[in-house]
Amino acid sequence: MTQPLTGRRVLVVEDESLVAMLLETILEDMECVPIGPASNVDDGQRLARDTENLDAALLDVNVAGRQVFPVAEALKERGVPFVFSTGYGEGGLPDEWRGQPTIQKPFTEAAIRDALMKAMGVAEA
Amino acid sequence: MNEAAKSGDPTVNLGAAFEASPNPYVLLTPDLRIAEVNQAYMDVTGAKRSEVLGQPLFAAFDSGPGSDAPENVRQVRASLEKARDTRQRDHLAVVRFSMPRAQPDGSEIFEERLWSATHTPILNADGEVVMLLQHTTDVTDLAPVIRPDEPTTALDAIVGGSVLRRAQSVQEDNRRLETERNRLVEMFMQAPGFVAILSGPDHRFQMHNDAYSQLIGHRDIAGKPVRQALPELEGQGFYEFLDSVFATGEPYEGRESAAQLQRKPDGLLETVYLNFIYQPIRDDAGAVVGIFVQGHDITENVLAAQRQKLMIDELNHRVKNTLATVQSIAIQTARSNTDPSSFAETFQSRIMALSHTHNLLTQSHWEGADLRAILEHETEAYGPTRISLNGPPVSLEPAVVLSLGMIFHELATNAAKYGALHTPDGRILIDWGLADQRDRKLKLSWREIGGPKVTVPDRRGFGSRLIERNIRHDLAGEIDLVYAPDGLIAELTVPLDRTAAQ
Repeated sequence: MTQPLTGRRVLVVEDESLVAMLLETILEDMECVPIGPASNVDDGQRLARDTENLDAALLDVNVAGRQVFPVAEALKERGVPFVFSTGYGEGGLPDEWRGQPTIQKPFTEAAIRDALMKAMGVAEA
Repeated sequence: MNEAAKSGDPTVNLGAAFEASPNPYVLLTPDLRIAEVNQAYMDVTGAKRSEVLGQPLFAAFDSGPGSDAPENVRQVRASLEKARDTRQRDHLAVVRFSMPRAQPDGSEIFEERLWSATHTPILNADGEVVMLLQHTTDVTDLAPVIRPDEPTTALDAIVGGSVLRRAQSVQEDNRRLETERNRLVEMFMQAPGFVAILSGPDHRFQMHNDAYSQLIGHRDIAGKPVRQALPELEGQGFYEFLDSVFATGEPYEGRESAAQLQRKPDGLLETVYLNFIYQPIRDDAGAVVGIFVQGHDITENVLAAQRQKLMIDELNHRVKNTLATVQSIAIQTARSNTDPSSFAETFQSRIMALSHTHNLLTQSHWEGADLRAILEHETEAYGPTRISLNGPPVSLEPAVVLSLGMIFHELATNAAKYGALHTPDGRILIDWGLADQRDRKLKLSWREIGGPKVTVPDRRGFGSRLIERNIRHDLAGEIDLVYAPDGLIAELTVPLDRTAAQ
C-alpha cells in the first residue's frame, strides 16, 4: 500500500511523553516526519512559527494546563492545516474552532491518517 | 372676640379651643410622656398640670385597683404604640379606666369609668411622628348594664346597652383579626423563601420578608419603587417582567434566572440564581394594583450542578488520556517484545506500576506525594537491604509523581533484568537533595553496585527511551545515563517550580 502522506512534516504538540511517543510512532509508520514534539504552548508556538516546510500539525487541546489555541492561531496565519486531539471530543472545543478535524483519545492510526488527510485536503490514494 | 382671635393667629385660636373643649385631651411625645393636657383632662383626672407635664403617661396615671387593671393599661399602651408605629389613627371603642375621686373627708376612692379613646399621630413635614394626641370620651353613662346601680330610662338601657355591647364586640373582633394578621405577617417574615409585595405601576416595596432582605443585602427599600431600590437590576430584564405583569395581569415565572445583585455597599455585583414567580394582585374590581413576588435562592444548587459537570468533563478527559497512555505502552511494548509471553509480562508490570502511582496519589486526594514514598513503592519488591534511600523529604506535584513513578519503575526493572538486582549481592544507592532555594531543583543519583559487569546496550529499548523522554518532555529536566563497568549510574535533574518557569 502506498502511503499518501509520505514525507509530510507534521508538528506534534502533546504534553504527555507516552502519548507523544505513540503519535511519533504512528506518524513514522505513515512515513511522515514528526516535528517536536512540543510539551507546552510556548514551544508549540515557536515551532509553529519557525519550522520550515511545515505540512500539518497534531495539537493536543489541553497542554500542561493551558489551551493550545495560540498555536492553532499561529498555524492558521501560515496556512498550515492542523488536527486537534482531545479527551473531551469536539463538544469540548469553543465555537471558533468547531468543525476543525478532531481526533479523540485514545486514537487509531486510521483515525489520525483520515483526519490529517481531511485537514490537508489530500485525496485517498 | 378677644385680641388674639382678632389678630388672626390660628395657634392662639387652636390653643384656646383645646383648653376650652369639654372633652379631655392629652398630647404625648412619641415615647409616651405627657407634653400637654387641657382643662377637661385635669378636671377628669384631678391632676395638676405642673405635676404631670414631662411624666410618662402610665406613671402619672395607672388604671387604679382591680384585677383587669394591667390589661386595660396594656390596651391603651398598645393602641398608642400602634398609632405611633403605623402613623395611622387608632380607636379604642371601650376601655375601663378607674379615676381617683377625692372624698369630702380628704380621702380618695377610685371610681370606675368607661372610656372611648382615639389616638391620633401628628406628623412633621418629613412624615415622622412628633406628637400623639389622645382624645377620650367618657361613655360610662351609655352603659347602664354595667352600672345597674344608677337609675336610667328604659330607652337608655336599650340604646346605650346594645350600642356599647356592639362596640365591645366589634373591638373584640378587631383584636382577634389583629392577632391573626400578626401571626400571618410573622409567618410571611420568617418564610424560608423570599417574599415581597410591590404596589402600583412603579412597583413600590410595600412589604418584604427577612429572606428578601438577605437576598438584596439588607438595604433599606421600604416604600421605594423597584428601579430606585435595586438600581443594579437595570438591563437585566426584571423591571420589564414586572411592568408586563402589571400591564397584562399575566403571572411571570423565572427558572434558574441569573441576577447580578449588589449585596454589599461598594462591593462587586454578585451573581445569584433564582426560581421565582411574579403574581398580580387585583383589587375588588379586578384591576391589577400590585405584584406578589415569591421565590427561592437556588445559587448553591446551580453552582453544585456546574461543578459536577466540570468534574465529569475533567474525569472524562483524564480517563481518555490515561487510555491513550495505556495504548501507547501497549503498542511500544509490543514492538520491543515480539514474544507474546514476554509482552504480557512486561506490559502488565508497566500497567501495575502506573496503577501503584495512582494509588499513591489517591491516598493524598491527588495533592501529590513524597519522593521517598514513590521510590519505596517501586523498589519494595527487592527488599529494603538492597536499596539505600538517602535524602530529605521532597513533596511532588501529581504530574511529577506520575512521571517519576514510571521512570523509577523502568530503572528498577532494568536493574532486575541486567543490573545490580540481577545478582544476590548487588545494591542500588539512591541519593538526592534540593538545589537552589528560589528555583528549586531536585538532583537525584541512582547508582548500581555489586552487579554483573555492565556493557553499553547496542540498542536503546523502549524503557530507556521512555525514561529520557519523560524527564525531558514531561518534566523539562535532564538525565545522564552512564553505563559504567561497575554499574549503571543515572543522574537526574528535575525543576520543581516548573509552572512558574513556563
